Order: sequence, then structure tokens, then C-alpha cells
Amino acid sequence: MKRNWPVFFIFFLFIAGGCRPARSIAPPFEEEAPSFYFFNTESNINNFVSLKMGFDIYFVERGGYLIQPFDLRENFEAVIQGKKGYVYLLSNWHLKELQRKHIPLEIALIATSKGNTMQRKVLSAGKDIVNFDMLKNTVVAAAGSEEYAQGILKQILGKEHEALFKDIKILIVPKDIDALLAIGFGMASAAISAESGLEKLAMFNPNHFRELHSLGFSEKDYLLIAATLKKPDQKEVQLLEALRKMSEAEAGRENLKLLGIDGWRTLK
Amino acid sequence: MKIINFYKVFILLTAFFASTGFAQNKVLIVNSDNVIYRYESIATEFKKALQQNAYQWIEFKLDRNENPEAEAELRQLIRQENPVLIYCIGTKAYSLVHGYVPDKKTIFSAAINWRRLELGQATYGITNELSSAQEISLLHYFFPTVKTIGVLYNDNFSREYIEIIKKDALALGINLINQAVSNVSEVKEAFTELLPKIDMLWIISDPVVLGDKQTVQHIFQTAQKQNKPVYAYSDVYIGQGAVLSISVDNATIGRQSAGLAMMMVNDKMPASTMQSPAGSTITLNKCKLDTLQTKFNPDALDSVNTIVGCGQHD
Repeated sequence: MKRNWPVFFIFFLFIAGGCRPARSIAPPFEEEAPSFYFFNTESNINNFVSLKMGFDIYFVERGGYLIQPFDLRENFEAVIQGKKGYVYLLSNWHLKELQRKHIPLEIALIATSKGNTMQRKVLSAGKDIVNFDMLKNTVVAAAGSEEYAQGILKQILGKEHEALFKDIKILIVPKDIDALLAIGFGMASAAISAESGLEKLAMFNPNHFRELHSLGFSEKDYLLIAATLKKPDQKEVQLLEALRKMSEAEAGRENLKLLGIDGWRTLK
Repeated sequence: MKIINFYKVFILLTAFFASTGFAQNKVLIVNSDNVIYRYESIATEFKKALQQNAYQWIEFKLDRNENPEAEAELRQLIRQENPVLIYCIGTKAYSLVHGYVPDKKTIFSAAINWRRLELGQATYGITNELSSAQEISLLHYFFPTVKTIGVLYNDNFSREYIEIIKKDALALGINLINQAVSNVSEVKEAFTELLPKIDMLWIISDPVVLGDKQTVQHIFQTAQKQNKPVYAYSDVYIGQGAVLSISVDNATIGRQSAGLAMMMVNDKMPASTMQSPAGSTITLNKCKLDTLQTKFNPDALDSVNTIVGCGQHD
């Protein structure tokens, strides 16, 4: 048996190292000033510089708070572990995933957009795709993380069509608008987007909108949430209050637009 | 005993490759220039997508300094590895690969002016620019009140493109006024004539119109004096005063190419030879918008990658 060790060792090294290029993960961000930590599984816009500048400048005279956007989910999750005194801005889908990992995040505020706090995701397709079965061997465009898009697609397909899932390729694009425009230009046969994305498309490209139809919908979920670890302490209450007041000032509203929202509301 | 161990490793590796389909699915990536960041980011996403789906790849990066051995090395690599598909990033990579194995399953992206390339039977590609319909849709999303857009162009270089964008603009209720110039010296006069008729100027990638720096500067200065916003195809012009630029998202090109590659490896050929990039990158010059007091759709702000404020021009 001992003689087999080198064999398995070489085999292990080859599989672990040779076939998988190392992915560098930056060390978790350390920040002393009271901050908002932001990561969104539902878009890939990476407008972090604009977001950081906009929020930080806005908060200079409103408590000196900072925002720290993350582009890697693992780094965002690494900073959450046991870190009180901060407010986390994330999707409700992501929050539920973290709660499943026993991270005690609790919703403090929910985002609003044009009076709504919830939205559904829609699976839209061109008129030539009339049912789920016709999605076999096609490309579905979606914004957000791959894991998130897969989860939403599975939810929309439902148990009845779950076998189809392995035959659908998901193409991750930066934003909902890109996903919807990809249909009809030959890049994708269908797209997952928020209902608000379809409404926007109807406004700026009604012809393209008319060429699409909805194949299915996801369950409703919150737009974006602000959460704290367990019940908010005094420092976190101040941060949440500053966030809630953003919609009262023009500059605050403009910054909220960068996140696709127009205000925050307490969860009742 | 050492020989026996070697065989054990060999058998284990063979079993591993066979179980994941590696042995049949090796993809060769040929990168035209080893120092261009854009090519590298396309390659990175391409590799990430292959890795997630358990495909194996090898990579060959061409040297910027025209290494005379490069072509021979690439040929040798293709002979040795016999990849099932070759992914070429940039024109140089594609030209070399096509010259050596024209019938090999090949995908290319980031090739300037792909229409001038000779395409093989099994060649597919992602264009270097967004489709004009996608670009003008996004432009209309940001500026829904703009109804008349002007374009300066040279007939030899851009006539076909102008015809396409005119049609795409009309479908969105936008009137596109085009003004042809034969050479760069005509640009100033043509622009003076065009400017009063339009709400916005669209700078397209026309080598005659953008022939010299002074002319480009004149276009932006004159537009600003007349309070007319300028939209440009590249964020290079944001610093000069363009209010918006919409260009391709490189990461999406990598993922899109990987999707095509995985289809082709499994003998499923794409419906069309060429695809436009599905992802866009948007830069908004908020400083210039405020200066010109140009109305824009604030709901579109969540689609912007970079917002440029005053004093932030590169």
C-alpha cells in the first residue's frame, strides 16, 4: 500500500494544480470607518468607481460613512463573518443563501422603486420559441452571477421541466437590457430579466419589445435589501438611518439610481 | 517497480480524462498580443467558462516583438496537440491559424474589420463592435428626447454602415442626417452645415472624419459652443467632451466565444457565421451633460459602468 502513495500523490497534484489555474482572491477588505458593504448577485455592471465616489461624497457631510462595493462574492462573504457595526447591501436571494450557511443576517431595510419593493424575474423569448421544450440546446442570456441565473431559471422551469436545464446554456451579460437586446440579434434565444427591464425595453424599443413574449415568471422577491448581523446596534442604526434618508436629497436620489432603486423602507 | 508506478499514474490519468471528456475536447487559444489587456480579459473569461464545464485548453501567446519563430512554434503546437477547436483572439492570431489549418473548427474575436478576413468552412466569430441596432437602442434609452442625430462620414469607408444605422434609427423614430466628406479638410465646413439641423452628433469610427487630432478637437469645441451633445463609439472621446459612449464588454465576448466553442466541440454548429457581442459597457460624462443641460433618462443610470464627473477626465 505504501508503494502506491507516490502514484496517488502525483495524480492528486495533477488534478488539483495542473488542470485548474489558481484564482487569486484578494484578502478581505479591512475598513475602520462605518461602512456599507455592497455586493449584487443580480447584475454585472461593475460601476464600482462611480458608486464609491457618489456615495462617499454624498456621505462626507452626513456622517462620513463609506461604501465598499465587492466584485467577488467570496470576498464579500468573508467580511460578513462575525463583523458587527456595518450594513450589508445585497439581494434577498443572496441573504437566504447566507442564512442557509447559518450567517445570522437580518433584513433591516428594503429598497423601493416607483412604489414597489418586490419584483419578479421574467423568462422572455422570441415568438419562434412557444414553450419551454423549445429552449433545448439554446442560449438564455441573463445578468448577474451564474449561480443566481441558474437558480432563477430552475425556479421558472419548475419541477416539470427540470430535465431541460442541462441542455440550456446560460450566457451571462452585464445587465438586463443587454440580455433582452440579445434576443433577436442572434446572441440568445431567450433572456431572464426583471419585469422592470421589460418595461424599460417597451419604452425605448417598442418594436423589439413586441417581438418578445413571456414564457414564465419567477416568484416575487425584494429588489435589494440592507441587512445587519443580528439586531442592529447603535452604530448600525445610525448607518441605516442615513441610508433611509438618501431619498430626501437630490444627490442621494441620484446615487440610489445607480443601484436601480429610488428609496428605502422599513420592513413591516 | 518504478515502471509499474508510471503505468498506474498513466492509467489513472487516462481514466480521469476519459471520464471528463478531456481527451477529445482540447481547445487551443491563440492570443495575438501577450500584453494587450483587452485580449487578456477576453481570454480569462473564455478559460473560466471552459473550466466550469470541464474542458481542457492550451494557450499560445504571440509576441508583440514579431518573434520570427512564433509561426513555426504555433504550427508545431497545432501538429502536436491536434486541438479539436482553435480560438483566435485578434486578427494576427486568426490569420496565422487560418493560413495553416483553414478547415479546422475555428472561432475568432477582437478582429478589426472581420469582413476583410478569409473565412473557412468551420470558422465562426464574434464581431468587434456592438450591432448598430443594439447601440442605437441604448443611445435612445439614455436620450429618449433626441429625435435628430447627425453623422459625418466618408462614403468609401462607411457608406454601408450609414445605410444600416439610418434604418435602425428610423425604426426607433429617430431621424439620422448623414453628411459625407471626401477628405479630412472638408470636415469643418460639413460640420458647420450639419450642426444647426441636429439634436446630437454621433461620432462613428470613420478614419477620414477622425483623420487628425485638430479636426476632432474642432468638432468637439464647435459642438460645445452650440450646446450640442456628442455621442461617441468609444470612451476615448469622453475626455474630449462626448456625453456618452457605448462599447463592447470584453468579458462577455470571452463567455460568448466559450459558449460557441462548447457547441462546436460537440458538433453543433451555430446558426450564423458571425455574432455581435451581447454585452455593452457604458460611460456617461455627467459633467458635460450638466454643462450642456442635456436631458437624459435618470432611470438609465443603473446601466452605466462609469460616470465621469467634473475634473475626472483622463
